[in-house]
Amino acid sequence: MNLQKVVVIGAGTMGSGIAQWFAQQMCAVELVDNSSEQMEKALKSIHSSWDSLVQKNKISSSDAEKMKTHLSLKSLDSISTDADLVIEAIIENLEVKKELFKKLDSHFEPHTIIASNTSSFPIELMAEAVTETRKPKFLGLHFFNPATIMKLVEVIKGKDSDLALCQNLYQWFDKQGKKPAMCKDSPGFIVNRVARNFYGEPLRIVEDDNETAMREVDSILKEVGGFKMGPFELMDLIGIDVNYSVTCSVWEAYGKEPRFAPHKLQKQMVDEKRFGRKSKRGFYKYD
Amino acid sequence: MTNVLFDDILINFGFGTKAEKKKILEENRDKKVYMDLTCYDPAEFYQEYPHLLGSFAALFCDEAKKTEIHFKERNEAVLEKLKDLGFAPVETTITSTGFVFPRTIVQIINEAYFALEEEVASKEDIDRAMKFGVNYPKGPFEWSQGKELYVVTLLNELYSKTQDLRYRPSKLLNP
Repeated sequence: MNLQKVVVIGAGTMGSGIAQWFAQQMCAVELVDNSSEQMEKALKSIHSSWDSLVQKNKISSSDAEKMKTHLSLKSLDSISTDADLVIEAIIENLEVKKELFKKLDSHFEPHTIIASNTSSFPIELMAEAVTETRKPKFLGLHFFNPATIMKLVEVIKGKDSDLALCQNLYQWFDKQGKKPAMCKDSPGFIVNRVARNFYGEPLRIVEDDNETAMREVDSILKEVGGFKMGPFELMDLIGIDVNYSVTCSVWEAYGKEPRFAPHKLQKQMVDEKRFGRKSKRGFYKYD
Repeated sequence: MTNVLFDDILINFGFGTKAEKKKILEENRDKKVYMDLTCYDPAEFYQEYPHLLGSFAALFCDEAKKTEIHFKERNEAVLEKLKDLGFAPVETTITSTGFVFPRTIVQIINEAYFALEEEVASKEDIDRAMKFGVNYPKGPFEWSQGKELYVVTLLNELYSKTQDLRYRPSKLLNP
């Protein structure tokens, strides 16, 4: 497999990180967003990141210049039609995504692989928007934030995705220094499913809004378990509302399976608008 | 199980059934006992055995041997003995069934086994995903290797205490 031309749709945090990573692999990358302001902001941030890497002697200035020439901003109407891979990284709204995939399917040549960076929707549902001939080339590629640093890419094989294609992508990412993981199209894929209890179980250990107990649990899981962050400080960083929403989504998707049930404290925090660091009050205070 | 006896103190290490742990306590009522209760509820044991003065959770220790320890009656000599034996005790005030780290990690391991049972991904890819997607120091299968009995025992104990189906073990752990 040789991915030379990549289109990334969505210039938010994930999309711009994915575009930056592909440009660093010397792929020709077209970054697309509805908002030109958002695209300019993303480009400025990516260029600034490369300049900083040059200053730290992590990359050469000639490589940085090449990366800059490899990354361009486009509107949806002006993207090339011959990309090898298109990655969608727009808002998590199924209908909006399906509408986009329908357009992308008719816009791109038959060889183009179309992938979604969704963390919550089944690939099979999104694949309904594309033609039968595209379905084997439609899959999930779930990156983790920040995409230039986190090595995991979940390669999600949908019901109709071509297995050999998924395996080739897996090998390509592996060769480029990522750590791919192949997984079935199921709610939460691997990480958002298996990690649920890193939050759910500590919530059940402390049970109530008890900051002292939370600090102790965070401290033990870091010191004894070797985790980089404790669950409560991590939920505060991610956003308690975001974490609660993912928990509810996985729980619903598994037919309210008790293993994924949200904890009463999560709802209480959201109801009280204690979202974590961003609202200066979550499990801890950030005054 | 292994017992270390010094002065009037007995430290009991290793895995045992609840009945085996209680038998050790019954037989050593004249001693101050400190016991590995990784898979059980320390509060239940404290209530039944006043001479049990502390408990710890060493069954999921890795090479660093960091171990949660709870004292009903703090004892420096016990801490020193554990350190002499290569453990790195970390004191806690929490007496939850399964302490903090074992209780959390068995739930993560159990979910990884459920994902494997449903053929979501291979063991290797699940371990890789958790290490490189969310920076876990080990993958769930690396953590559970050789410790499946402790995982199931703790899950069953949590179920017995709470009657919550979230603690039902995967068939692959509990064939």
